[in-house]
Amino acid sequence: MRRSGVLLAAVLALGACVPAPPPEEPRADVAVLEGLDLDEPAAESVLRRAREITVRIRSFGCDQLGIGSGFVLPGGVVVTNRHVVEEPREVTLNTWDGRSLRAAVDGVAVDSDLAVLTLAADPGLPVAELAGEPPEPGQDVIAVGYPGGGPATVSTGRVVDVTDAQVLGEPAGVVVVDAPIRQGNSGGPLLDEQGRVVGVVFALDVRTGYGLAVPVTTLLERLGADAFAAPSGSC
Amino acid sequence: MAVRGRTAVVAVVWAALLAVAAAGAAAAWQQRGVADQWRDRAVARQTERDEALGRVEALQRQLDEVTASLATSEADVAALEQRISELANEKAQAEDTATTVQVQRDAVVDLTQKVATSVTSLDECVTRLLVLQRESVEAFNAAAAGQDVDVEPLNASLRETTGFCDDARAAAAQAAAAAEALPR
Repeated sequence: MRRSGVLLAAVLALGACVPAPPPEEPRADVAVLEGLDLDEPAAESVLRRAREITVRIRSFGCDQLGIGSGFVLPGGVVVTNRHVVEEPREVTLNTWDGRSLRAAVDGVAVDSDLAVLTLAADPGLPVAELAGEPPEPGQDVIAVGYPGGGPATVSTGRVVDVTDAQVLGEPAGVVVVDAPIRQGNSGGPLLDEQGRVVGVVFALDVRTGYGLAVPVTTLLERLGADAFAAPSGSC
Repeated sequence: MAVRGRTAVVAVVWAALLAVAAAGAAAAWQQRGVADQWRDRAVARQTERDEALGRVEALQRQLDEVTASLATSEADVAALEQRISELANEKAQAEDTATTVQVQRDAVVDLTQKVATSVTSLDECVTRLLVLQRESVEAFNAAAAGQDVDVEPLNASLRETTGFCDDARAAAAQAAAAAEALPR
């Protein structure tokens, strides 16, 4: 009887030594936003929105096939980079869920790497929300796009700098981020943690490895002033 | 006199005691009835509580099942969305290829037409040159034989042939430009 008691106590003591099971791992699709201060439902919501508003752009101009990214605004308007759709013969958008949509270049900004397209038919795509202010240094950001013409990717990083200086010919100020940017990300949105557009990715600074984005304020100014010219159409 | 008085007091006391006892009994009887009512009420409430707890347990089981189904559905939806994304990417790549091939095909068709035009023009140019050569030799021979030779038809033929050959050269240049502009 006494031995049984000791045995029982030992088993209970051993049981108490078993560590708690590991916490449930985050889902693979939201794991990309792990670095941000977001809980899983919020991360999932931002991720879904980011994916839905971002389109892949195929532009054929001057016998060159160009692939870039863009995002949808209300009224069937799509924002991308000027260098993605300059002198186009044909522009097609691909959505994350496989839709192929025809678009026409409505205008290109003269003094900034921005362009606006209009969808031939508005299929009711989810639209992006534009933030009113550019991001601040140190702020977490999310870059979305179709690098290399491959599948949509979401990467996170921080704003390294917001400069008014001319960088790579962009005269109206630039947001510098350490989020991974590759060719094909051009024209894709740079989002804040709430999923609002704070910039338009346009280049990778190969010297520093940082990504560069046109601030949302520049986009708002150009859209407000209707400061877009017709594309030249020449090669 | 004193005895009668005491008897009266005792009688009063007894009467009072009896009255109190009767009142007590009545109160006890009444309270037992009330207690029975409360007990019945309590039993009824107990039954209701048990039924409510049963419903709670049943609803909790349903909730657990729905939650489990929802978790499975969410996982299924995520997997399906991932698959949609993969298929969309494959489709986009195929469209890239189709667009490129279409443009290359258009360019080759354009080049073929330009080369054909150039060849036809050059053939016409060569034919005209041969005719001009023959006419020139005949004119030289006639002149050598002392005959009067009218050179105006010869000059007209030369102008016409030069025009054809200029067109042929232009067509050849267009074909060369089209070949140069072929998508790499």
